[in-house]
Amino acid sequence: MLAETLLVVRKDLRVEWRAKVALGQVAPLALLILVVLAFALDANSSLLELGAGGLYWVAVLYGGTLLIQRSFDVETDDGNMDAFRMSAIGAPSLFLGKSLALFVQIGLLELVLGSGIALLYNVRVTDWVLLFVAAVAGTVAFSVCGVLWGVMSAGLRVRATLLPLLLVPVLAPILLAGSRAFETALGVRADAGWTWASLMFVIAAIHTAIGLGAFGFLLEEG
Amino acid sequence: MSEVTTVVTGWGITFIIVATYSMWVVSRGKIIGQELGIGEMEQADPGKDADATTDL
Amino acid sequence: MTSTTRSNAKMTATPATRVLGVLAIAATALMAVLGLFISPADVIQGEAVRMLYLHVPSIWIAYGAFVLTSVSSILFLRARKRREDQGRHYDRLAGSAAEVGVVFTGITLITGMLWGKVTWGTYWQWDARLTTTILLFVTYLGYLALRRLPADPMVRSQRAAVMALISFINVPIVHYSVDWWRTLHQKASLSVGRRPEITGEMYWTLLYSTLAVTIVATWLMIHRYRVIRLEELRDEEALAALISSRLKNDDGSN
Repeated sequence: MLAETLLVVRKDLRVEWRAKVALGQVAPLALLILVVLAFALDANSSLLELGAGGLYWVAVLYGGTLLIQRSFDVETDDGNMDAFRMSAIGAPSLFLGKSLALFVQIGLLELVLGSGIALLYNVRVTDWVLLFVAAVAGTVAFSVCGVLWGVMSAGLRVRATLLPLLLVPVLAPILLAGSRAFETALGVRADAGWTWASLMFVIAAIHTAIGLGAFGFLLEEG
Repeated sequence: MSEVTTVVTGWGITFIIVATYSMWVVSRGKIIGQELGIGEMEQADPGKDADATTDL
Repeated sequence: MTSTTRSNAKMTATPATRVLGVLAIAATALMAVLGLFISPADVIQGEAVRMLYLHVPSIWIAYGAFVLTSVSSILFLRARKRREDQGRHYDRLAGSAAEVGVVFTGITLITGMLWGKVTWGTYWQWDARLTTTILLFVTYLGYLALRRLPADPMVRSQRAAVMALISFINVPIVHYSVDWWRTLHQKASLSVGRRPEITGEMYWTLLYSTLAVTIVATWLMIHRYRVIRLEELRDEEALAALISSRLKNDDGSN
């Protein structure tokens, strides 16, 4: 199963490496979102500093959704799903592999966005460990949910609008937890940042369990 | 808004929503039923029935 | 159309549901009389308490409908390979329950906001219950959107069933995190929305309203179920007609 999972990861990352959509298109777009959010808040530096944690996750939500879409478009466009169904790769391996590949891509996006926030919104990190752990927890939860809902709308004609509608309510708790954890890590809130980070791990664990069990149903063709 | 206006608005909107939804469900059933040629044909005589379906 | 299809398939109304429909209208009328005129005004909230008889039964019905959607989805996933009808019965049940649930969640939100305006002075408060409810509303709107898409019926139903299950598992996650979010730093504002003491006539009116709303929702669900079946029948016939016309065309060209 591990070998199969890694095979899927390698395939997805190779596709991404050749097309360079994540770094070439999605990351610049997400940076633009940061700029636009500053417009919305009238470039009020104290507001931006206070809201930086939340705004970061909103930008991740936006860019991440595009990456999830892309992750399944490359499968359905060329009928790769049929190839998967016929290959010996099991549904759980496919689920884990796609999640892991998405984790890497969203992680890269977050690196870019993190630098953007640091430079544009003038934030100071007070707890680097929490920041890192919360980012990892949020990204894992994000990727796992993304794969689960990405396959749900895969291959449908209206997927570009359907995926965000299905995805955002599910990601809402992650957005909430990520924002609060980041605010603690950035020193603008004294709340329990670690508890929020662990909540994201719990959400990730629950959705991983669902994904391992239910991915097969979602791949089946009638 | 006063309390009474609020209550009247709330109950009014609720009744409108439920009534509209019920009518939509029933009429949708009727329309599709007619398309399929399923209907409450017990009362209608066959000759009339033929006319009605050609109209649609 | 042959007479056999006519006698096999039925319209959405049957004698039993006609009786239920009349009962629903009568029950609603009595509910309005009890809720609007006979039950007393509240000591704290005054006349505004009459929103209670719509708001609370609606959310109970909505939750009940979503539970029904989840249970039917599980049964569908189990039955789709074993039963002759591929579990379509459960799929229709899940779909009709979800739609009725969405309607009543919408009613809950509207009545809640109006009620909030008059008691809290604002339409919306970021309180755990309200926030969970609006996310629930959007989630099931998404579920209905997924069900409506043009795709192979079995593929679509399977995806919808899995989505219904995950959404249901997500309800406590959403509620817990939002609840936690609000209680961590806004304890004071929660006391603004004082809940009235529900006793005596108010209690019985609430109980009766729940019964009346249940009858209405049941009637709606049964009819919606039958309409879904008619929709499936229509799609099948359209497909069959398309195939036969293609076959004819092929014959002509040869």
